[in-house]
Amino acid sequence: MPPTELVLQILVNGLLLGGIYAVAALGLSLVFGIMDIVNLAHGHMLMLGAYVAILLFAAAGITPLIGMFVAMALLFVLGMAIQVLVLDRVVDEGIEQPIIVLFGLALVLQSLGRIVLGSDARSAEVGISGQSLEIGPVLFSFPRTVTFVVSVALILATWAFLRYTTTGRAIRATAQNRDAARYMGIDTDRIYVITLGIGTALAGAAGALLSMLFPITPFVGWSYLLKAFAVVVLGGVGSIAGTLVGGLVLGVSENLGTLYLGGGFRDIISFTIFLLVLVVRPQGLFGTGGGDGE
Amino acid sequence: MMDRFGAAAEGIAGDRRRLALAAVGVALLAIVPFTTTAYITEIVFTGLVFAMLGISWNVLAGYAGQVSLGHAAFFGTGAFVSAWLTTPSRAGLPELIPLGSPAAVAIVSLLGGALAAGLLALATGPIMFRLTGHYFAIGTLALAAIIQLVLLDQRRFSGGSTGYYINGSIGADAMYLLALVVTVGMLVAAYLVIESRWGLAMRAIHGDEGAASSLGVNPLRYKMYAFVISSLMAGLTGAIYAQFTLYVNPESTLDVVWMIDTLVVVILGGMGTMLGPVIGAGLFLALDTGLRAVAGGLATTIEGLLIILFIVFVPSGLYGLVERRYLSDDEETETPPSDVEESRSEGA
Repeated sequence: MPPTELVLQILVNGLLLGGIYAVAALGLSLVFGIMDIVNLAHGHMLMLGAYVAILLFAAAGITPLIGMFVAMALLFVLGMAIQVLVLDRVVDEGIEQPIIVLFGLALVLQSLGRIVLGSDARSAEVGISGQSLEIGPVLFSFPRTVTFVVSVALILATWAFLRYTTTGRAIRATAQNRDAARYMGIDTDRIYVITLGIGTALAGAAGALLSMLFPITPFVGWSYLLKAFAVVVLGGVGSIAGTLVGGLVLGVSENLGTLYLGGGFRDIISFTIFLLVLVVRPQGLFGTGGGDGE
Repeated sequence: MMDRFGAAAEGIAGDRRRLALAAVGVALLAIVPFTTTAYITEIVFTGLVFAMLGISWNVLAGYAGQVSLGHAAFFGTGAFVSAWLTTPSRAGLPELIPLGSPAAVAIVSLLGGALAAGLLALATGPIMFRLTGHYFAIGTLALAAIIQLVLLDQRRFSGGSTGYYINGSIGADAMYLLALVVTVGMLVAAYLVIESRWGLAMRAIHGDEGAASSLGVNPLRYKMYAFVISSLMAGLTGAIYAQFTLYVNPESTLDVVWMIDTLVVVILGGMGTMLGPVIGAGLFLALDTGLRAVAGGLATTIEGLLIILFIVFVPSGLYGLVERRYLSDDEETETPPSDVEESRSEGA
């Protein structure tokens, strides 16, 4: 049996990591809930965001916390472009076309990532990496704590945006009933463009934050896609509160599992949890079903 | 010529012209190992592997409408089980096949690989088919990732990230010819399945699962048929690949790259058409070999872009394009079972 302090420490680390997982999942969840599309390139967009932060840090010493906004802006534009140029044309063709198109997009991003940056793992080694805050027997690592706080702020900001802005309300109306929203004068095509933009911007933010904690390679896209989707399934499609809870649950279970089973099992654990939840309760542990449309 | 029999037998053996073309094609492929270099033989062999994977995935996705992203898992399972059967010592397993004739060893290892993949599909299918649409796609992706990670972790059985070399029994040329025979066999098998009552049920589920169900088709049963048949084929392909290259590695053999290649092949050729995967495999091979020479590292990027462009602008693939223009000479009846008409499910 590992000592209690260690378990406590692992729990805290998992919770702090879970915040980023929640941000990573939020964009996926929004797009799925509102547009009924699983963005299979979401993990690769996250990878792209991480690289933006890493490059900015390496080239100009810009901290990923600032680089994050650059990544978000770039990915917002990329997301909108993808919706206009590609997804718009296939979204009414049935379910297979969007899946395959987005799979192809993931392939493009992964191979471009490898060409531009090589296959080596990179991260943004910020000066604060080693420092930590000691509360009782538990260490709060500085980067983990900071990224957690930023993650929660991002989630709250997204929530406030959807709740209080006109565009946010239009997005929610479109999610509830696309046709009715259109009759009420909402330009649903524009809403889709904005939604994919926000979804990918959040992926970019999560990537920038992750680049402070973990090494990133061009191949991490699939893994983070599955993790983000696991959180969506845990929390329920389209539920912001559920996403946060799902992120924390995933972060903690991954870290606990690693403690008991070994590091090689980190991804196996999260993917297995994911499959189990998916099969037992596809609408999510906390979800109401959202707009999955199945 | 328009008797009912001929009309029903459209597809691979639909008319004499196509049959003759096919015979010439197979004959040309058969002499490759004896007239060219080992290097070219290996390239063409890779094309056959792509064709087999394409045919196999097409049964499940193109006809039954279940877009699986976990195909690599069944390919990899076939490769590893065949490797364990011919070279058990590397994985610390007991000698299972009493080493008789080399041909017997080869055949047992191939069938073992196919069977293992089929059993895996049989075991996981009922779980996977609790999912539909996007959930099924991403569920199969997760399943494949788990299988790959477990094998990577179990170094004793898989050789870890370095993989291991296996003993071949019948040589590369014989394995190449076997691959050719199996490719043709798979095409015929897929054709027979799709044209049978099973295939009719699969296509009905693809069109509208609810309607098919209300007409008395049990969706789960026919999806399972498609899944198991498709996985048997993928497993056999993996086993053939392992026995040709004589090397297995959980990182490369089970990688999502196989899924990507399969997808490119079927999308370029024509999803839901019988010859689409074969044409797609040829095209992909030429493209891949040519692109790597010209564009180097950009080749994969271009392939990804091609998937997107084809889905958007040529959803019926090259086969659909060619068929509409040149092959439908006598009748308008040659519409391939299209996946375009499928409408979005209600209630979004």
